[in-house]
Amino acid sequence: MTITAVDTEKPRADAAPRPRRGLGDTARAYLLNAPAMIVIGLLVAYPIAYSFWLSLHRYNLKLPALERFVWFQNYVSLISDPTFLSSLRVTVAFVVVVLVLTVVLGTALALVLNETFLGRGVLRSLVLLPWAMPGVVNGLMWRTIFDAKTGALNGLLLQLGLIDSYQAWLTSPSGAFFITAFAQVWNTLPFTVIILLAGLSTIPGEQYDAAKVDRAGVLQRFTQVTLPWLLHPLLIVLILETMNAFRAFDTIYVLTGGGPGDATNVIAVLNVRTVLTYTDFGLGSAYSWVITIVTLVISIGYISTLYQRGRIDV
Amino acid sequence: MTRKVVLYALAIGFALYLVVPFYWIVNMSFMHEVDAASVPPHFLPHDPTAANYLSFVNPSTDQALVGSNAVGDTPYAVLNSLVVAFSTAVVNLVLGTFAAYSFSRIQFRGSQVLLIVYLLTRMVPGIAIIIPFYLVMRALDLLDTYGALILSYTTFALPITIWILKDYFRTVPRELEDAARVDRCGWFRMMWTVFLPISAPGLVAAAIFSFMTAWNEFMFALFMTSSISSQTIPVIAANFATDLNTQVTLMAAAGVLAVVPPLVLVLICQRLIVQGMAAGSVKG
Repeated sequence: MTITAVDTEKPRADAAPRPRRGLGDTARAYLLNAPAMIVIGLLVAYPIAYSFWLSLHRYNLKLPALERFVWFQNYVSLISDPTFLSSLRVTVAFVVVVLVLTVVLGTALALVLNETFLGRGVLRSLVLLPWAMPGVVNGLMWRTIFDAKTGALNGLLLQLGLIDSYQAWLTSPSGAFFITAFAQVWNTLPFTVIILLAGLSTIPGEQYDAAKVDRAGVLQRFTQVTLPWLLHPLLIVLILETMNAFRAFDTIYVLTGGGPGDATNVIAVLNVRTVLTYTDFGLGSAYSWVITIVTLVISIGYISTLYQRGRIDV
Repeated sequence: MTRKVVLYALAIGFALYLVVPFYWIVNMSFMHEVDAASVPPHFLPHDPTAANYLSFVNPSTDQALVGSNAVGDTPYAVLNSLVVAFSTAVVNLVLGTFAAYSFSRIQFRGSQVLLIVYLLTRMVPGIAIIIPFYLVMRALDLLDTYGALILSYTTFALPITIWILKDYFRTVPRELEDAARVDRCGWFRMMWTVFLPISAPGLVAAAIFSFMTAWNEFMFALFMTSSISSQTIPVIAANFATDLNTQVTLMAAAGVLAVVPPLVLVLICQRLIVQGMAAGSVKG
């Protein structure tokens, strides 16, 4: 959605900015950008710098007397902290599972919606439902479904004869882990589907006709025609969903609170707990910076891939 | 033939996947507490009641104590969310329109860099700026006010707003502006009477994005608010979840309430969203 891809060979007669005379254009452009630049500068750039500065301090709201500059001590203590290392492992596993599920389910759903069938409009509207659901409510919803005593899943599976006793889904570490990933995927799927659907709608019909003439099967048509056209939107999906999964917080916070044990204690949950419960602003900032650096490295990687493919237009 | 069968099977499967989980909390929200706890569960409320929804307006004494007054606070939280989300959308549209117009109409030095910088600020996780944000808002005495939330959500939504709008603005024919200029129409009047009305789908898509960002956000709301004078519905919904004595039926009703306003908005504007997004978004 945010990154525009345009066929580079095709000039856009109407859309491309027309070169205009006068020296004032650049000045005028920056004047028009000034409000946005001021807001973003004050509310993002300055806080980022300040948070880095904080991360070099021992700064705990509860212990104001101990406040002092400690260089990179917070970062050093992170690297040797088993809680941090385990949460890093959980986060990476979470991101991978969420990405795989999102891409597979999202592609399948987008392909279905791209066909014509009775009730397609209804299904298109239904796709928007999870988008309208705040992450907190999403967490609440799955908690009532996976609840060990009153949950819908246990009741359903028992009535179908698939299990012979109620399961405590959320109290087993691997169960909780996959349930949070599943809940996250449900919540973020609409976005993926909208982007992939927009990508699918741009594939020229002749490509499929040509493939049919060549007697290509369904699978061949998918790998030879659909997939190449879908690569770019998929890359956008990967960017957005990696970011989302890395900072996933609200659904997990409500669903498992990071437990049982450390099974779903992703880095964002750990970060919030450090800041909110322990009011340790110095260490909390160091956590934030680790998340920031990882996400920035990944986004720069993705964006430069887009550039190399010549598919970014700004 | 088999192709059709597979297609319908998949479509029905996905429809169930999307709807059934939500159906379950709707179902629970109309149940009595006793029925919600029954084994096996009822997949239809056998004695449907609106009591859970009514108790948000008039909670009984024991309900009022759930989740630090979450029950009585719910209507106010919905109202707070509406105010914050609408304001965020408006602020974003105003700031975003100026910036996006410059990208769509003027060729200027550094435009590419500036666009990437806007995009990169969106890549910064909220948690990374939350502490300085908190300290700044405390210094400005804005904690626990709408202002703190609207400002933070603007930083989340503005980059996306600018990207959506710039793509849409590029589809507006330049001749219309030229015609307005010939008629000696000033820039602001031209924007207001000609340009913006034509850009309605893009503006709606961008506004809904900002609205949803603000409506769904939880982490900043958790940090920046402390009382019902600014707490949003996700914060109150989380209070239901963290209270051990919570009534599941009440919690379900609060959850449904939190989904309905954005859902209605999205369904009404569905066509405009797709139209607005398709303008530039993912043309491949």
